[in-house]
Amino acid sequence: MNLDVNHIKKQYREFQLDCSIQIPEGRIIGFVGPNGAGKSTTMKAILGLCSPDEGQILADGRVIEEWSKKEREKIGVVLADSGFSGYYTVSDVCRIMKKFYSSFHEEEFRKQCKHFQLPMQKQIKEFSTGMRAKLYLLLSMSYDAELLVLDEPTAGLDVISRNELLDRIRDYMEPGGRSILISSHISGDLEGLCDEIYLIYEGKILLHEDTDRLLDRYGVLKATEQQYEKLEKKYLIRKMKGTYEVDCLTDQIRYYRENYPDIITEKVSIDDIIMYMIRGDRV
Amino acid sequence: MNIVINNFSFQPIYEQIVIQIKENIMNGTLKEDTLLPSVRTLAKDLRVSMLTVKKAYDELEAAGFIITVHGKGSFVTNANQELILEEKKKEVEQLLEQAVRKGRSCGMDRQELQELYQLILEDLT
Repeated sequence: MNLDVNHIKKQYREFQLDCSIQIPEGRIIGFVGPNGAGKSTTMKAILGLCSPDEGQILADGRVIEEWSKKEREKIGVVLADSGFSGYYTVSDVCRIMKKFYSSFHEEEFRKQCKHFQLPMQKQIKEFSTGMRAKLYLLLSMSYDAELLVLDEPTAGLDVISRNELLDRIRDYMEPGGRSILISSHISGDLEGLCDEIYLIYEGKILLHEDTDRLLDRYGVLKATEQQYEKLEKKYLIRKMKGTYEVDCLTDQIRYYRENYPDIITEKVSIDDIIMYMIRGDRV
Repeated sequence: MNIVINNFSFQPIYEQIVIQIKENIMNGTLKEDTLLPSVRTLAKDLRVSMLTVKKAYDELEAAGFIITVHGKGSFVTNANQELILEEKKKEVEQLLEQAVRKGRSCGMDRQELQELYQLILEDLT
């Protein structure tokens, strides 16, 4: 599914969202940003859970409000702090899903639950945070949805479960025709998974880049004050002053490695880029 | 096929994939007409994004090492012998260039370099 979030605006008392995101078919889009930046609001708007004041959201070229119930079955979702009543067991949830989604694959879903050691007869309120996260992620992938909107699906999961579930998400993309918008505070999870990354801050998109460009071209220079003075500033995006050095974020790390071999350069993670983009000073 | 990605290297991941697939073709692990894994599958197996793999495949295709048939996948081409030779010659040229540069940087002149080159040629025959 192709999703086009086109300049949606939403005004809350102290907060204004103004954001555009393209989710092309076959792509996994990572959505990062600090708490309260507008990730969940954007995702809710995509799901029709809050209506934007301006702008529109097009799914395969059609405004999402016009979608029929049947068409909405093509969207799979994990939202933070929401899900089934804690008094249900996974077996109960299966019965509900069957009624909700015509293409719910019960057998496959039960198999996955077994694989991830989720008990079928235990009430969800007795589940640990990690078990609940697994349940909701598996549910979102249980009915051939063409778009997954995953709001921090890996929160509360240990490193092993996280990687297993990330592999499940990769498997899910294999048949083609599917796309994913995923947010996470564990950006390591996104680095090997997402094709593109959007960084949102205070309701606005601060950065949008292909993940491999972020990881290959971006980097940090650790220059002394004197070195910094002489530096070509054209390709520097942000700087942060430390006690002994000036750390600069660049999107042309190769250029600096070749032309300033004396300056220490480091590769960056998405976490570093978020830090520099938000806490750093413009050059 | 062997591909091992170093996530900490400064070499871009797509370049690492390109180089290693070329190596697999050159050393005969990947033979002519072999079907390469799909972009999605390789991305999944290497735990890198699909765009990264796509970029690598595009570059291999542009260089003539593989050909992509729509709906079927990417195959190793047959034009490889010449390409491989070409690549290797390029590598030799680069190495020689490096040697000359290094020689000059420590003060060796043209004649000295030529003598050394002749000496090595004779030594190895």
